[in-house]
Amino acid sequence: MPAVLLWPTTLAAAIDPDALIARLARPAPASIAFKEVRVSPLLREPLVVAGQLEFSGPSSLDRHVREPYREDTSIRGESVRVEREGEQPRSFALKRAPELRGLLTGFSALLSGDVPALKRSFDVQAQGSEESWTLLLVPLDTRARRRLQKIEITGHDSTPRCFSLLNADGGASVMILGDAAGEVARSDTLESLKELCQGRGA
Amino acid sequence: MKRTPQALLLLAAWVVALAILGWFVQRQLVVGADLRLFLPSPTTPEQRLLLEEVGEGPASRVLAIALDGAPPEQLADVSRELVATLQDSREFRLITNGEFALDSVPDELLPYRFLLSPTLDTQRFDAQYLHAELLARARDLASPAGSFLEPWLPRDPTLEMLKLLQGWQPMQEPRREYDVWFDRSGHRALLLAATEAPAFDPDRQRAALAELQRALASAAAGAPVKMAVSGAGKFSVLMEERTRGQAQAFGTAATVGMILLLLIAYRRIGSIVLSILPLASAGLVGLAVVSALFGTVHGITLAFGFTLIGVAQDYPLHLLSHRRPDEEPAAIARHLWPTLATGVASTCIAYFTFLFSGVIGLAQLACFTVAGLAVAGLTTRFGLPPLMARVAQDFGASRFLDRLWNRIEALPRMRWIAAVIAVVALAVIALAPRQFWENDLARLTPVPEDLLLQDQRLRGELGTPDVRYLLVVDAANSDAALGRLEALEPGLRELIERRAIGGYDHAARYVPSAASQLRRQQRLPDLDTLRSALREALVGTPFRPDVFEPFVQDVERARTLPPLSIESMRKSSLGASMDMLISQRRERTNALITFSGVQDVAALRALAAAAGSDVRLLDTKGESEALVAAQRSRMLWTLAVASLLLIGVIACALRSRSRIYRVLAPMALTTLIVLAVLRGSGVSLNLFHLISLILAAGLGLDYALFFEHASADRAEQRRTLHAVLVCSLSTLMVFALLMISDVPVLRAIGVTVTLGVVFNFALALLLTRPELRNVPIASLIPHQGAMCLLERIVEWDERRVVLETDSHRSSSNPLRVADKLRAIHLCEYGAQAMAVHGALLAGTPAAADGMLVAMRSVTFARDWIHDLPSSLRVEAECLHTEASSLQYSFRVTHRGELLAEGRAAVMLQAPRTA
Repeated sequence: MPAVLLWPTTLAAAIDPDALIARLARPAPASIAFKEVRVSPLLREPLVVAGQLEFSGPSSLDRHVREPYREDTSIRGESVRVEREGEQPRSFALKRAPELRGLLTGFSALLSGDVPALKRSFDVQAQGSEESWTLLLVPLDTRARRRLQKIEITGHDSTPRCFSLLNADGGASVMILGDAAGEVARSDTLESLKELCQGRGA
Repeated sequence: MKRTPQALLLLAAWVVALAILGWFVQRQLVVGADLRLFLPSPTTPEQRLLLEEVGEGPASRVLAIALDGAPPEQLADVSRELVATLQDSREFRLITNGEFALDSVPDELLPYRFLLSPTLDTQRFDAQYLHAELLARARDLASPAGSFLEPWLPRDPTLEMLKLLQGWQPMQEPRREYDVWFDRSGHRALLLAATEAPAFDPDRQRAALAELQRALASAAAGAPVKMAVSGAGKFSVLMEERTRGQAQAFGTAATVGMILLLLIAYRRIGSIVLSILPLASAGLVGLAVVSALFGTVHGITLAFGFTLIGVAQDYPLHLLSHRRPDEEPAAIARHLWPTLATGVASTCIAYFTFLFSGVIGLAQLACFTVAGLAVAGLTTRFGLPPLMARVAQDFGASRFLDRLWNRIEALPRMRWIAAVIAVVALAVIALAPRQFWENDLARLTPVPEDLLLQDQRLRGELGTPDVRYLLVVDAANSDAALGRLEALEPGLRELIERRAIGGYDHAARYVPSAASQLRRQQRLPDLDTLRSALREALVGTPFRPDVFEPFVQDVERARTLPPLSIESMRKSSLGASMDMLISQRRERTNALITFSGVQDVAALRALAAAAGSDVRLLDTKGESEALVAAQRSRMLWTLAVASLLLIGVIACALRSRSRIYRVLAPMALTTLIVLAVLRGSGVSLNLFHLISLILAAGLGLDYALFFEHASADRAEQRRTLHAVLVCSLSTLMVFALLMISDVPVLRAIGVTVTLGVVFNFALALLLTRPELRNVPIASLIPHQGAMCLLERIVEWDERRVVLETDSHRSSSNPLRVADKLRAIHLCEYGAQAMAVHGALLAGTPAAADGMLVAMRSVTFARDWIHDLPSSLRVEAECLHTEASSLQYSFRVTHRGELLAEGRAAVMLQAPRTA
């Protein structure tokens, strides 16, 4: 038994991030349901929002939040536009929000398979096996790193399950994608979410 | 040059004295570059405001910077690097690229944020407001777009800091890419810098620009990033360099040309040395005087002063040209001195008036010129003769000059030409299309058109303050000023809505008045109230209850803070903007409202009028033009006084009406002609045209005075011709070069003086020739009274003389017998004509030492001549000269018809000197 358990880990080093990302590619436009859990030292309990992510090109991402409120975030190139119900729409530059850039770059890489673009902004590593893998992206820019420590994308086979933005102060934003989104409960902690991402029920 | 020991000693002493003076001057001399010295002194409060405030005001120190040559992302990085490098520079008060992060709010201002932000004007920190804010913050946290706020939330859940930062951004903001400013096309990164040095100080501006270049080189780190800098400071550097560069180039060319000219004219090296000495003395003494009286010399004064000293170079040239072998140089100098002194005195009077022009730069010029010219005149009179050797060269004997002079003499003498020219000139001046005076100071700038356009474009994109229109608020102290500014806010916002302006800026946008701050402070809840409101607000939000304690503490601290003052704001990084917008002036405070994108000036005027008497609209262009116009009328008045004084000096010196006319007419007529030419070619006159006209008039006066002085003496006339030729050629050389400059100031001077010299020379020759009609013949020959039969000299040269007379018809003619005059008396006419000729040749009156000894081959065509209706024309021609005798032939004609002719021999008492 130990030998069987050992086998996936010894194969961990052998996973090639480039090949992995290439496998994950999917033609644009793509639309994925998501549930996002926001954990922060300021919060009593995690914030949970749910909606759709729409990807329509390398620098074009839409994040539509539908629960518990409506909010639409559009990223086009370097400009971001946020429209929330009951508020004035706001526009600002992408560079102001490294987390957002992380989301955009990470996602576009996933969906378009553009590895060089990804490597321009992040240090890319892969762990795990073909069945159950984790992509680790660490921002190359020191200033961005002050806020955003790393991005973890976990999934199995060629389906990404989770997209986690981990902050330097201990907070995190975990996006559970696709079918797994339905399995998220309000009371989930970071740890239980991690297990969910790693394919507990796979 | 004399080679005696005394002369060489004197020369050595002079050179040493000049060297010492030169060393002294060079040590003491500070060359200033503040162009405001050439602007008129202000008289009205608006003008004072213009020069004091606006000269050092917001728009003049602003430099617009554009970066391109690399992909936009790289440009954005370079832009950020530049700002980081130059943030603490001594040369720049402010450098910004539009980037702001929450951590760019200065630490010392953070506690004041509740008093500075307008939130408390309309809201209270009650449970309802706080709840709404907290909910919004929660959603911000949930969005990756808003999660950058996370670190600030405990202290500032209502985002006052963000509101402050947004309020401090310029109203008209350029496009943002990568969080920094870019131009409309998105290809060039834009930055804004404000220099410490005012725009009028080219040296410091140059230092600032150099530092900017260095910072760019290190920020770009090899990338091919190009930087374009534009602004008043940059232009003043450009202007100064161009002017200086061209002045130097022309100065060198002129010096070389001058030396060549002197060599050709005098053919000896000594004359070059002799002409340089008075000029060098004049220049150094002039510098010393200005340095002693004013402390600094302005660069323009220096450049201009030296061209004016070019007048002074004429003095030694006159002395050199009038040399003759049979006279001591000292005697020649004595001879010329009255004329020279008159010339010096009259030019000095004209420049003396600049002392009263109200412009410091011109007052400096006056001192420089007057001192210089006086020294040049005195050194020529007393310093040069001991150094001059007697030379065999006598320009009075030059064949070339003689021929030239004869040709000039042969030119018809048309008095009426002067009148015609005057009338035509006046007509052209009056009817010329463009306006007479150039009031727009901007047209004096040599900055090329395309740079100016680029500057306008950049300023438009950056939304920099308009250079032309400002609102000035006058208040008793800074707080009152802030209150007034706040009161004007609604009106200003309306102007933006109506699109009359694009944006505005004033000090109250950064620091509210104490009253506003106190009002907001009073609306802050006390500790317990806030805590309970917060507790209530937190219900229904996902936040932890203890998270916002820093916020509570900050509010409590803010409740007891004294209002933030302008002074403390000045020390912060926003201080640069503060200084530009509000300042203390003589116990009053002036606050400025600057505008960008002004579309409707009338609306601004209406706002100012409605606001009250303490708010004034300042039209910098209009005020500066009024300033220039006022200065000019003052100058014209002083010039009128100077002209009267000048005429007085000339009148005292010459004492004869006809002589005065002959001296003043060329100068006056030339001035009219030059004005007509300038106006006719569409040039509007400015201050430098005026100065040049005076210079040209001074030169013309010198020429006319010297021509007039030469009068009847042939040799003297030739020497004067030589002198004036050399003088005018040398002056022409310098100023003709200036004509090709592209610096408007230099071109104005060059064109005016060149035209002036050419016309003065021509008119002096034409109008100043002594009227031979007026030479009393009785002074030339021994025959006096009625026995002097001849009346007018028509023309004469070395060989012949032609006279006219009507005395044959006169009843007082002593040769008449019984009212009839025999033709035989025409011999007497002939003899007198010969005597006149002899006297004219001798050059001095009553020196006809000849005796008529024989007459032969005389023929007469008629018997009586008393009844001839027209004038008799008597010609005498010298056929043959010997040491002690002359052979003449004479002819008398009447209306072309020959009456008598014959030959005579004249015996001389004393042998003639050849």
